[in-house]
Amino acid sequence: MLFHALRSAARGLLARARSLWRGVTRRDEVESEMREEFAHHIEMRAADLERTGLSGAEARRQARLEFGKTDTYREHARASRGLRSVDQLRFSWLDLRLALRMLVKHPMLTLVSVFALAVGIPVGLAPSHLAKALERPIPGDPDGRIRAIRFWDPLTSSVAPTRYADFDFWSDELPAFAAVAAFRSSTYAVGAAGAPAAAAAGAQLSSAAFQVLPVPPLLGRVLSDADAAPGAPDVVLLGHDLWTARFGADPAIVGRTIQVGRVPHTVVGVMPKGFRFPSNEQLWLPLRIQPASAEAQLAPVRIFGRLADRITSERAQAELSATGLASLAEPDETRLRLQPEVVPFGLLYAGVPRGGLASMPEFRFVRLLTLGLLLVACGNVALLLFARTASRLRELAVRTALGASRARIVSQIFVEALVLAILAAGIGVGSIDWALRHVNLAALAGETALPYWLSLGATGDALLRAVGLAALSATVAGVLPALRITGKGIQQGIRYGAGRSGLKFGGLTGALIVADIAVAVASVSLAIGIADKAVDPGEAVRLAGIRADEYLSVELTMLDDGVSTGGPAAERFAARLASAERTLVAELEREPGVVSVTLADALPRMDHRSSPIEIEGVEVSTVGGPRWVRTARVDPGFFTALGQQPLAGRLFDQADADSGRATVIVNSSFVERMLGGGEAIGRRIRLGPRAGEGDWREIVGVVRHLGVNMINEESGGAVYLPTAPGRINPVLVSIHASADPASLIPRVREVASRIDADLRMGPARVLSDVYQGDWYLTLAIASGLGLLVGVLLAMAIIGIYAMLSFSVAERTREIGIRAALGASRRALVAVLLRRSLIQIAIGAAIGLPVAWFIVLEVTGNGESDGSPITAALGALGLGMIVVSLVGVAACLQSSPSDVAIQAGEALRRGLAAVRSRRRPHLEAPKTPMRERRTSPAMGPFFPVEADPRYPRARGGRSSARRSLPVSGHVDQIGAAGQRPAASHHDPSSPGSARAVGRASIPKPASSTITGFEGIDTSARPPIQWCRPAAPRNGRPGPARCSPCPLPTRSAPAWRPACV
Amino acid sequence: MAPQAELLPGTLDMVILKAISLGEVHGYGVLLRIEQISKGAITVQQGALYPALYRLEHRGLIASTWGTSENNRRAKFYHLTREGRHRFDQEKASWKRLTDAIALSLTATPREI
Repeated sequence: MLFHALRSAARGLLARARSLWRGVTRRDEVESEMREEFAHHIEMRAADLERTGLSGAEARRQARLEFGKTDTYREHARASRGLRSVDQLRFSWLDLRLALRMLVKHPMLTLVSVFALAVGIPVGLAPSHLAKALERPIPGDPDGRIRAIRFWDPLTSSVAPTRYADFDFWSDELPAFAAVAAFRSSTYAVGAAGAPAAAAAGAQLSSAAFQVLPVPPLLGRVLSDADAAPGAPDVVLLGHDLWTARFGADPAIVGRTIQVGRVPHTVVGVMPKGFRFPSNEQLWLPLRIQPASAEAQLAPVRIFGRLADRITSERAQAELSATGLASLAEPDETRLRLQPEVVPFGLLYAGVPRGGLASMPEFRFVRLLTLGLLLVACGNVALLLFARTASRLRELAVRTALGASRARIVSQIFVEALVLAILAAGIGVGSIDWALRHVNLAALAGETALPYWLSLGATGDALLRAVGLAALSATVAGVLPALRITGKGIQQGIRYGAGRSGLKFGGLTGALIVADIAVAVASVSLAIGIADKAVDPGEAVRLAGIRADEYLSVELTMLDDGVSTGGPAAERFAARLASAERTLVAELEREPGVVSVTLADALPRMDHRSSPIEIEGVEVSTVGGPRWVRTARVDPGFFTALGQQPLAGRLFDQADADSGRATVIVNSSFVERMLGGGEAIGRRIRLGPRAGEGDWREIVGVVRHLGVNMINEESGGAVYLPTAPGRINPVLVSIHASADPASLIPRVREVASRIDADLRMGPARVLSDVYQGDWYLTLAIASGLGLLVGVLLAMAIIGIYAMLSFSVAERTREIGIRAALGASRRALVAVLLRRSLIQIAIGAAIGLPVAWFIVLEVTGNGESDGSPITAALGALGLGMIVVSLVGVAACLQSSPSDVAIQAGEALRRGLAAVRSRRRPHLEAPKTPMRERRTSPAMGPFFPVEADPRYPRARGGRSSARRSLPVSGHVDQIGAAGQRPAASHHDPSSPGSARAVGRASIPKPASSTITGFEGIDTSARPPIQWCRPAAPRNGRPGPARCSPCPLPTRSAPAWRPACV
Repeated sequence: MAPQAELLPGTLDMVILKAISLGEVHGYGVLLRIEQISKGAITVQQGALYPALYRLEHRGLIASTWGTSENNRRAKFYHLTREGRHRFDQEKASWKRLTDAIALSLTATPREI
């Protein structure tokens, strides 16, 4: 039974779809068949009628009459085939052509709208695009079966390092993986014959790496199991870039010997161009680890593998969770809470939960924010389209009269918006894609190039979503105004023929301008705040008592031998590094002009590493997660070299570094923010896995705040860990010079290369220039914000302008009458501007707290302690002033000229309105609902002149009088305080206001009257509103009059009775 | 001529289906056949027939082929589809139930209460 019902429903649906398809695709054929069928019917009927005795002509006439209106039935027939709705929504080529013509016809509007959407759509697209890019399979993994295995620390929400022991354990215990491999990255000194060694990024790969990622080599072979065996010959695999750059793309390179560090290695192969696994490496060595050594077991390696056939990620995860972690020789309690996870390769590096970016609440917030921005952009475009469409109201009215349905017109406007949006999406996505391909991002981003597998360029998926967003934008920007306009506007357009009487875009305009201004205020403040922090060179000198311009920072890297990890070789390397660093410090201190030399992994003003922290006796918040501090590993002489004295406790001594005593020094911000200003000395802290520390450490000293990041040197708690030479690589050498520190750079290079040929000198700069070194980030943020601010401000200005133009157009009659009645131009402008000014004020007021939050958050980098408030306030104030000035300028720019342009036209229409009062059906002026609501409360007003002489005062100088045709005498209105003549007006009768209006304007002798009698615009007569008093003893009391009120919020526009 | 009967809303389709079920017929023929089988009691507004025919065709209850009519002109002939026949049977049954029920209630006498 159910089967039959389902089958019959399916057949019905199929039949409908077939019929609809035929109606849409073979419209003409269907139409002509219908005509033929009707004709046949009428003919048959006529033949029947003829047989009853009617004449041929009469029979045909009768048959046609009986059939009825063929057009109507054809329409009904189309409707019954479900074709009418298709007709209405049909996007014809005509629509498209019209849309394209509109693009050309209004170039400014096109430019601005496309610009807004070309920014908005990619911004809306970016978050999910990035999220997807992180999870995409890496090159060389077409079936997407490569996964990384990592540790996730739920307490700190970060990735914890996996150890060699874990790799060893899992490679035997995980049948879900066909192969598991490990790698570790490093920097190596690669020497060609006869040329000095140069640094190259490389990785040590375990033997299964090329089973997991089977990329064939360009030359020779890849690394094999035998290469990793202990005692095997040292071999190296080269990357394409390194091969071409250092070895001239020598085709006979395979088999040759090159120097890696101090050890000769035989080249076994060259990898193809574009292969830079795991991130941006160009050199691969076998990963050789002495499994016996406990230290080697702890060596951090990254682990990845290939899922076995028909094994899903979830299954592998379940297996991994069941298997657990390797047990280490030395128990580590932090490992107890670590969760092993199977993740896409891209998430091996990113500190993102297993679910990907999309599972992070922050990400959802950012996505909402970007969609919000897109919506604001769409709203602005909607406003522009509304303006453009409103100017075509007449055309739309005519089309409606000719039978175009509302849906038809809406779809036409939608197509126009869609063309704009698609164009914008194409330009936006295309230009970003182009930039990603052609602009050297690595150069822009300094040394932190994007991993080779992270492709942010446009993909098919991204394009599809861009089209989706474009359609969404077109719906918001096109359908909204179209619905608005086709509501009542069309009817009014027909009636008035004027095109735009009474059209308003509702509250949306106001909301949009408020939103634009708010976002603009927030972004301007932010941009100013950042620019202020990052660029001001004067600020750079003054820093916690350290003369930053006297310190030179030099980065030194000891290039890796790449022979093995752990065991005696690694110890030899550390010893060599330590000795080189000690010698270097000693030699540099002997240089003339050098006051002191010290080593650290981060110097003041530089971006210090962040690390989660646990303070003994303080519970880790389960809601907000752990607290974070900045950390630096420093030489015992670090603070002395920087001229710092302890504020409490002591500084580090050599024993702290050498003996590995678990001590730390914290800065004053740390004490204030983390310890609430209490006693710090003797308390114990523990840093999270990122710093590689798991032990409790005792605070032995407190120092001043030295600056821990580049954006804001004022705030931020910091923890300093003691370290001995040989443990940091690369290391930063801080040299305090008595004179120009930059002049020491060549000398440092010379000394470094003399001490050890593998000691590479990286960037060297004076501490006061650190900001300039980080310019790219600042530049990127500032230019991004600048663009955003520009777009938003432009939109706000356009919004204000469009709204004012509307406002002027919509109130043309009112303006005319006000002008005719003597309102000064200033008063008119004030009336028109008030709304915009209020909107600007509201926008700024909303933007302020948002901006406040953002500025504090960004410039304080989440660690603000309130000190940047003055700076933030300044930035906010400035931002608000800039935006408000621009907004007001837009108002002033647009309205007076509009008023001037409209004045003549307005006057003419205003007077035409007066004339039209003769016609009963137009007697009641069309007033907006709001006014109608408020009018009864005002009582039956009627206007009178305050000055008894006034009716006879004739304004000879009135331009209106000279040049404009006017109709109607107004000179019969009674004088102030007098009741108008009984013949004209009886205040006790209902509807007296209308009565006086009608009675006081006698039928003109001709349609054109040469004078506007009774009104002298130059004299600006005070027009009054009078309310008749309650009748007393059956007689009307004296009228109470007051000056014609200025528009108020409750009665914003003029009152019709005030003529 | 029998007195005219008003077609209840929704019953036109059923009558048309009946007319077509009696044999393949063109549009005008449907009209004549309805008059004939109702003995002139039901007349359908001529033009109004066609939207109903197209609606039934759209739903797949009837199908059409082009052929030649009595006056040697090309005409569209309608026939019932299997689906249409099935639907017609259903409607007929449900109509019978309805009319029986109404007839029963209208012939009720006080004694039956």
